[in-house]
Amino acid sequence: MTTPTLKIENLTLGFKTWSGTAKVLHGISLHIKKGERVALVGESGSGKSVTARIVLGMLQQLKSARITGSVEFEGVNLETLKPASRHALRGTRMSMIFQDPTSSLNPVYPIFTQFKEVLERAQPGITNEKARERAISALADVAINEPDRVLDSYAFQLSGGMNQRVMIAMALANNPALLLADEPGTALDVTVQAQTLKLMSALVEKHHTSVLFISHNLGVVREFADRVYVIYKGNIVEQGPTGQLFDDPKHPYTRALLSAVPRITGGGIPDLDDDPSGFTAPLATHDGYSERELLA
Amino acid sequence: MSRLLCVNNVSKQFEVNGRTVQALDSVSFDVEKGECLAIVGESGSGKSTIANIILGIYGASSGNLMFNGTELPAKRSKEYRRAIQLVQQNPLSSLNPRRSIGASLRLALDVHGIGAKSDRAKRTGELLEEVGLPADYRTRSPSSLSGGQRQRVAIARALAARQELVVLDEPTSALDVLVQARVLKLLKELKDSRGLTYVFITHDLSVVRNIADRVAVFERGKLVELGQTNAIFTNPQNLYTRRLIGAVPVVSREEAALRDRLMEQESGNA
Repeated sequence: MTTPTLKIENLTLGFKTWSGTAKVLHGISLHIKKGERVALVGESGSGKSVTARIVLGMLQQLKSARITGSVEFEGVNLETLKPASRHALRGTRMSMIFQDPTSSLNPVYPIFTQFKEVLERAQPGITNEKARERAISALADVAINEPDRVLDSYAFQLSGGMNQRVMIAMALANNPALLLADEPGTALDVTVQAQTLKLMSALVEKHHTSVLFISHNLGVVREFADRVYVIYKGNIVEQGPTGQLFDDPKHPYTRALLSAVPRITGGGIPDLDDDPSGFTAPLATHDGYSERELLA
Repeated sequence: MSRLLCVNNVSKQFEVNGRTVQALDSVSFDVEKGECLAIVGESGSGKSTIANIILGIYGASSGNLMFNGTELPAKRSKEYRRAIQLVQQNPLSSLNPRRSIGASLRLALDVHGIGAKSDRAKRTGELLEEVGLPADYRTRSPSSLSGGQRQRVAIARALAARQELVVLDEPTSALDVLVQARVLKLLKELKDSRGLTYVFITHDLSVVRNIADRVAVFERGKLVELGQTNAIFTNPQNLYTRRLIGAVPVVSREEAALRDRLMEQESGNA
């Protein structure tokens, strides 16, 4: 069995506050195999974004964060790495796409300058000509027709959809093993969102990139992911293959979430069970899809 | 049903860096009393522009609006400002963080002179109960409430003015899906029990499907399709409408089937 790209085991996170420790993650385990697209779904405050930040190694630097458990990236425990080696992984072996593309690009530099910076992470001393050539081919991959104009523009001169495609191109430029996508496209119009997801899907398939897809939008997850983990208040409550999980949700929380989504086929506004006591029920796993079985 | 609002041939141009942008291009539609009319479209479609014109934040470049049979003036009197109320997307920025919930509601009553002064304190409590919050939340500050509770307060504030029309500008898109379902339920119940009239502005078509009576689809400043919700979703006439519905991410097989059917028709027509 090959080493999974990412393996998180029994990860807990707490923040030290004046009145003790506020627990955010209560021991979550998940893994992503090579080329797999895995979604982490949950509401705000459930702990999905902090998980991504721990994988990037950014929360470890925070003094008030208390982290236990292990995060293995391509078989290497991140904890054993020096900060400098962890830093070297970011932007090369693992990269991230954020929710709002326009605010994650720097408004005072043209796109090309930022693109070159990304390429320099993997290839220090790359020449302008070479960088431009690589940037143009990366932009062509995300269906941008006028790469030269885009490279010489500033982020605010481009539309949101265009910026998101630039971000995707940058994130995949160094051919990372793992892509962390935190609510990509949430800030975009539905038609643009559908397009960018399709593009991203095709690209990660082509490069066999593993993806951790973080989202609160169940519809988007259904369309993008191979496997799904549902997270509620810092606990994984259900995991399984996308199709099964959406057709036959087992955990009360997943059921409530799915029933709360308004349907385009109508049926009115759903009646919600106001009793969240079942939401803390133990992890529900679909047959053959527990951590133990998948990693065996 | 009678007509509450008529929008007649409204156009709006903005000057941006010396260029003229046509934000709205002769748009006409009516809003009936007691209905929920959804205005949908993507960014740049003009849906917020029409909302701002209805609210009187700015006037139209041409065309006019009739409210209850009389023309709405460019500069609104207090009476019209009371009659047309707004609920915004982000309740955290639309509620004053330094004012208690009760004081925010009280202000709406004071400004519009609603009820006797001595009754107003009691009335704020009743308003909170009408939107499903305990009356003693009056003393709380917006920061101590959850997103869904804050949006309920924003709705209560719109109701405080004894409005005739509520413009809802993406009222649930900042909320989590469970909270969104509860707030939508509240809006629907209030509409049914009190005969409220909504202009519901959103980009979320699955929400529209379940709350609106009629839907107006905007594309680049033009009204491209207007019809009963059911008809729009089962048999959209306009290509853009069909494309919008086809792009909605869905969670069930039935929805996926509907989408596929609509997209097939599109390729058939093309």
